[in-house]
Amino acid sequence: MKAVKRIAGSTAAFIKKIWMQKQGRIGLILLTLLALVAVFAPLIAPYDPYDVAQRADKGLAPSLEHPLGTSITTGQDVFSMLIYGTRVSLLVGLITGISIALLGSVLGVAAGYLGGITDMLLMRIVDVMIVIPTLPLTILITNVFGKSYVVIVLVFVLFGWTGLARTVRSLVLRLKNADYVKSAELAGAGRWYIMKTHILPSVSHLVIMSTALSCAGIMIAEAGLSFLGLGNPTAISWGKMLAEAQSGGSMLFGQWWTIIAPGIGIFISVFAFMRIGLAIEGILNPGMKGKNGMNKLIKHMGNRYLDEVLSSMEDAE
Amino acid sequence: MKKFYVFKRILYTLLVFAAVVTLCFFIPRLGVDDPAARYYPAQGNMSDESYELIKELTRKQYGLDGSTWSQYTRYLGGLIRGDLGNSYRAGSPKVWDLMAERLPWTLVLSVSGMVICLFFGIVIGTHCAMKRGLWQDRALMNASTITTAVPSFFIALMLTYFLGFTLEIFPAYTDQNLVSSFDWSLKSIGSVAYNAALPIISTAIGGIIGNAQGIRNSVIAVTGEKFIVTARAKGVKRRGVLYKHVLRNALLPVVTGLGMSLSGLIGGSVVIEQIFNWHGMGTLYLEANNTNDYPLMMGIMIFISGIALAANLVTDLCYCLLDPRVTIGDKR
Repeated sequence: MKAVKRIAGSTAAFIKKIWMQKQGRIGLILLTLLALVAVFAPLIAPYDPYDVAQRADKGLAPSLEHPLGTSITTGQDVFSMLIYGTRVSLLVGLITGISIALLGSVLGVAAGYLGGITDMLLMRIVDVMIVIPTLPLTILITNVFGKSYVVIVLVFVLFGWTGLARTVRSLVLRLKNADYVKSAELAGAGRWYIMKTHILPSVSHLVIMSTALSCAGIMIAEAGLSFLGLGNPTAISWGKMLAEAQSGGSMLFGQWWTIIAPGIGIFISVFAFMRIGLAIEGILNPGMKGKNGMNKLIKHMGNRYLDEVLSSMEDAE
Repeated sequence: MKKFYVFKRILYTLLVFAAVVTLCFFIPRLGVDDPAARYYPAQGNMSDESYELIKELTRKQYGLDGSTWSQYTRYLGGLIRGDLGNSYRAGSPKVWDLMAERLPWTLVLSVSGMVICLFFGIVIGTHCAMKRGLWQDRALMNASTITTAVPSFFIALMLTYFLGFTLEIFPAYTDQNLVSSFDWSLKSIGSVAYNAALPIISTAIGGIIGNAQGIRNSVIAVTGEKFIVTARAKGVKRRGVLYKHVLRNALLPVVTGLGMSLSGLIGGSVVIEQIFNWHGMGTLYLEANNTNDYPLMMGIMIFISGIALAANLVTDLCYCLLDPRVTIGDKR
């Protein structure tokens, strides 16, 4: 019970810290809104896009009945699809982001702190996995094991932890030689105790930041996969809405709203996570605030490794 | 010592490559139990013997006879000779030939996109660094916030709509005769450029802004260095300092990054190629995916990974040549 209370307390304090930053406040507000929309989608959406009986004529223009018109391929209400699409995007993004954070930090700490053969093995695995191109690999695996979000999340997690693990490992290697860890060792503290009380808390900020950023990156990747038709074929997602609008000829008939709507959905959700990531970076690195956070973010989203972030943190110290 | 390092590094790269090949080889075999049965489902009027015979012939034809292990050694043997096997397509063309046909078309998109990103990124980035804190700089900051949060395929769709369908400046879809009618005449080169414009622009927008932001930051960082102050103090003109001292140093990280992005040049534009129906590696990969053409998919993945590994190796060896302190333990 005590532990739960402590964790809850520190989480609340951390969220408050994020809230104190302008960046973080925007992100938190947007994220809360999105989460509410996702949870209460059936209440907010005027129609049920999964219900075949509620489909109207195909490709209707926006009107009072259908605020964003109807889809050109099936006649579902676009506004309702947009609201239901929040579910897939947020769910895939959050589950994958959090699993990557858990796996990456545990394996990174293990490699850095235990050293020896564990370290060697893990880093060799990382070396191999980082080379394989992610998108083609995901396509191949969905081909072999079937198209579903479960498979996509599994692939993202299994091949996405490598960058974080590497960064956490190098941070742990530096912490390991810090005086307070050395003195804890001398005082006779056990390995698990040191890991739990000294190493993990220092790593946690970095991990939380990378979670926010990898959620953002994964939402974009998920939209891309759904756009290619590799997501769950029956689910409604923003990427699939874009693909249907494109293949159905929305552009040919001038129905730009069916393309803009899911695009804005993707933008808002990615934007929210990016703001939170930036805010945490500001907390980690007060000196660097606003200077080149954006730059590091771009690099991170591009190649999913936090190496640059870490090296610039070293420069700052 | 140095020779030893180089040798070790090359050997290690080969080992990683072997691991990648093994992964790429076994992933498709995890899901498909009997490919032959998948191609020829059993028919009612067929005796078991003739069905077995047909399946056996199919396996032979597609190189799937023998145990998985013997297939694996055969594949590795082929790979050493530079042979990536045959595609499942009609006529079993070599995977290598199929890729070689598509590779130049992908490179047209990605290399010109990269050049555009670099050029405009450097120009805009340097300009904004000079105008630090003014509206140009803030505009770049805001633009980079937007472009990182928007997937490039969404930009591509918007551009197709506005420039392709509404204003009709560029073709919204690639001309399907583009590839077959290509001869090295000026006219067909021009039409390639005309058709490639939209895909290139849509990938370049994000790249330009990202590059510009990075270059702006490194220019500002370099401007604060002491040797810049010295150069200014000894009377070098502002422009001279910029070209001779600041940019040379500020562009170093950009050039290093180029080597890393090499594999992205080939595999990175699957979605964009799909939108514009471009005749490149990305669409080849998707075609292979739709027809369950595993040798082709494996070949493309192995090719891209190989390029990435080679690029890493070359960068590392260059560092090793330039910096006498580098040893294998130092790496990260």
